[in-house]
Amino acid sequence: MTASALTRPGQRDRLVVKFGEIDWTFCALLCLIAGVGALMLYSIANGSWEPWAAKHLIRFGLCLLLTLALALVDIRVWFISAYPVYLVGLVLLLAVMVKGEESLGARRWLNLHVVRIQPSEIMKIGLVLALARYYHGISAKEARFSWKLLIPAAMIAVPVLLVAKEPDLGTAILLLLTGGAVVILAGLSIRAMAVGGVAVLAAVPVLFNVMKPYQRDRLFTFLHPEDDPSGSGYHILQSKIALGSGGLLGRGFGLGSQSQLNFLPEKHTDFIFSTLAEEFGFIGCFSVLVLYLAVILIALRTSSLAHSHFGRLAGSGVTATFGLYVLINGAMVMGLAPVVGVPMPLMSFGGTVMLTVMIGFGLVQSIKVHRYTEVTSGQGALL
Amino acid sequence: MTIQPSIFFNEVNERQGSFHRRALVMGGLASVSILALSGRLMELQLIEAGRYKELSANNQFNYRLIPPPRGRILDRNGVELASNRPNFRLLVSRDEVSDIDSALDAVGQVIEIPSERRKQLQREFAQSSRYIPVAIADDLTWEAFARVNARLPELPGVTPDMGEVRVYNFGGAFAHVIGYVSRVSEDDLARVGPDEDQLLLHHPGFRIGKQGVEKSQDINLRGKAGGQKVEVDSRGRVVRKDPRGDVQPVPGKDIVLSLDADIQNRGLDVFGENSGAAVMMDCRSGDVLCLLSAPSFDANLFVKGVPPDDYKALADYERKPLLNKALTATYPPGSTFKTMVALAALENGYDPHTVHVCNKAWAWGGRVWHCDEAHGPQDLRGAIATSCDIYFYQCALSIGPDKIAATARQFGLGQTFDIGISGQKAGLVPDTAYKRRTFKNDPVWHPGETPSMGIGQGYLNFNPLQLCVQASRLANGLKALNPRLIKSIGGVLQPPGDAAPDLPFQKANLDFVRDAMAAVTSGNGTAAATAQLGLGPIKMAGKTGTAQAHNYLSGHGQHGAVGEWATRDHAWFIAFAPYDDPRYAVSVLVEHGGFGAQAAAPIAREIMRVALLKDPEIRARIETPLPMPAIPTAGQADGAEPPPPTDIVSGKPT
Repeated sequence: MTASALTRPGQRDRLVVKFGEIDWTFCALLCLIAGVGALMLYSIANGSWEPWAAKHLIRFGLCLLLTLALALVDIRVWFISAYPVYLVGLVLLLAVMVKGEESLGARRWLNLHVVRIQPSEIMKIGLVLALARYYHGISAKEARFSWKLLIPAAMIAVPVLLVAKEPDLGTAILLLLTGGAVVILAGLSIRAMAVGGVAVLAAVPVLFNVMKPYQRDRLFTFLHPEDDPSGSGYHILQSKIALGSGGLLGRGFGLGSQSQLNFLPEKHTDFIFSTLAEEFGFIGCFSVLVLYLAVILIALRTSSLAHSHFGRLAGSGVTATFGLYVLINGAMVMGLAPVVGVPMPLMSFGGTVMLTVMIGFGLVQSIKVHRYTEVTSGQGALL
Repeated sequence: MTIQPSIFFNEVNERQGSFHRRALVMGGLASVSILALSGRLMELQLIEAGRYKELSANNQFNYRLIPPPRGRILDRNGVELASNRPNFRLLVSRDEVSDIDSALDAVGQVIEIPSERRKQLQREFAQSSRYIPVAIADDLTWEAFARVNARLPELPGVTPDMGEVRVYNFGGAFAHVIGYVSRVSEDDLARVGPDEDQLLLHHPGFRIGKQGVEKSQDINLRGKAGGQKVEVDSRGRVVRKDPRGDVQPVPGKDIVLSLDADIQNRGLDVFGENSGAAVMMDCRSGDVLCLLSAPSFDANLFVKGVPPDDYKALADYERKPLLNKALTATYPPGSTFKTMVALAALENGYDPHTVHVCNKAWAWGGRVWHCDEAHGPQDLRGAIATSCDIYFYQCALSIGPDKIAATARQFGLGQTFDIGISGQKAGLVPDTAYKRRTFKNDPVWHPGETPSMGIGQGYLNFNPLQLCVQASRLANGLKALNPRLIKSIGGVLQPPGDAAPDLPFQKANLDFVRDAMAAVTSGNGTAAATAQLGLGPIKMAGKTGTAQAHNYLSGHGQHGAVGEWATRDHAWFIAFAPYDDPRYAVSVLVEHGGFGAQAAAPIAREIMRVALLKDPEIRARIETPLPMPAIPTAGQADGAEPPPPTDIVSGKPT
């Protein structure tokens, strides 16, 4: 009982059919990655479910349920909520600037008394949805190069600047790259891409000037971490030591001295991959990277199945976010990128990023389930 | 913004086609990026793995320093002068304890911490570096230490530690020779070479030599630190110990001094409350057997850090216990210098039978020169025996200052000796060149300065070690002996003091001076009454000296032990024994002691007796039964039994 193109439209709307349409292989891969994360969290807590591993698994379980629920949400609901979500995200970002909670010198959290939220995370989904919706409504020609591109440019620039101002450089870069990915996937002309690339490069010195000193330090020390082994180069150096000492097969589960003896900072969040590398070596790391690649490729393929342009762009957009997380974190722990505070999705301990990523995959699954649904404008779209 | 349905099929196809192409490219990019990350992983984990494994091990393992036991300092017979004893301490480091008050409260429940010590600790703790622990309790008794160990779980962050602490077994007797060890100061750190073990220097239990042999031989005594291999976490806390990886410390080298503890201790006893110094040398080998400065101080006080009040008391005391009077203070030699004047005269053709008449006063050069009494007509030998100033005024004038100075220098006067103690004062042997060099306004040696030099006054000033070297060289009669204090370092013998050139003097002249010194302790000699050993055939020869410590305002009169202590004369006695076959030479200075014969000679006699009685050859000579009971010769009658030491300090002029 599959929702093939020949299935009658009424049949496709049955929950059972929808449920069967969910990509269970994909979900299994996600479980596998989260499981590896839990294993590492168990190890670095000296073989204890407390304080991280158990919580990690519970969170992942709840997020997975959310993903499945979101997969059943009609693609048209996603479509009409695109702009509202984006606008809510924007308002919250502005609110954070005004009365956000300050921690470690940055205002990133907004306390709504019921929950503390990080508006930049909402924006990761909101931006993708809004861009997808916008491109849904313009022609290929316009998407290639026209004045209409000023609108998506602004849609990207405003939240990126707001987030950079918090300051949260990692997320700002992530938003910029995600937005850029959607714009390119939507069909931006190669020439415009080149112009945009040059513009971004030209913005680098300007950006550099408005950066906080600690951000500049981070940027430089990743190039020469050995210059300041106990200062700002410490993270990178210790991470590289953890990686390198893992060798081919690793030092064994629970035997990584770098993480067990606390030499590795942020070992349960941003640098969890280093722990994996130390304890399971190249074989373990390579396997996990292949898992991540499989998730990315499957999600891209799933997005391509959508009949609606909105679905394609939204799905590939959140996939790009996920992929960028993996690549930036991987490059960071291997000393190829500055330490910008981007976690390894699904493995690192932390609820917010997991929630964002799993909502994104809910969207991807929704696209798969509703791939034949025509998304049209107008009030009757959902009826 | 109006949203239109995608009704144009071309348009739909074009958008879809473009997306598919680009999604494919994006998927390819993702794959390539993951491959690139894998490549980087290969580089780190397969190619450079060795290097990072080493770095990881450096992180993981650490060596906890094991301080080496400091070398002992022994006397010539193996008696421990400085050694180490266990020290039970409690250490706290800022790394593990953030609140020193609560830690002290907790420890205070088990052992007593005085409130003033508590304040000091709080200060010390606040200034301490993060990883170097502070000793909150030092030198605990075994009972207290065991009590703390039993209750250790209630004392988080407190580490019991068993170290060693320096102990000076004779307290003050050797304080000026051995010196002491104390905490490493900033000055010490600035002074030591860059190649020295900084970790050891910063260890809380480590003490560095501050004075004397402890200072000069610090590197030899120190040894090499060992290490205990431990696994640590990122905060440096010990997780596990690995006994197989330990490196044992190399103990410091033992240093054997040429000193004899019996002689030195007796010397200090005899000095009592007197201020001064005594040096004894073996006048055949040059070994220093006794090198004391009185009064002394307890060197053990300085090891833990001397309390300010105690230090102030020591520093303020008029008789200067902290000053090494044997080496770092100089005094006019007084009449002991007449031996030099006499020898210089003889070497320059002076007829020892020349007679001068002493009428207690002698007018020359527009002023009157005084003597203690009217000695009548005397030759050179008699003038030495009675220490006649008027004879030596004239004797000195007959040869001039330069020849006297040249002779004095041959006896080690005016020089320092490499015996392993720093801070020696060279004193001064003046001559015409000295006056030219030093007095720009008055670069001339005035004739009136020569008589003063003839009786050991004026510019002349020496330390007691120099006078002992002088006595040894006179007694040896052949070699320009050098003193040797450090006999061996870690079992390696040091160059002896008799590897020295011969004295450039005629044997007959040296014999004459020695013979005259024998006359000092017999007949009508100045020390005939106070320098009798009471050891049968073993006799001591010597020379007294009573040196002006103060310019008498009236220019005459106040000689000897009268008036305020600080204005009295310095008492000297140099001697050697047995005079027919010299073995030991001694110099004794009693600061402001008055007459040399009364204050210094009895001390020299007591020190000499210990040395002689310890010498088996001398003992054999004393104990050989004589065919007839020994009949004391004239002048020795009251010296057969030396007076008890309590009489020594009377210091009254006769």
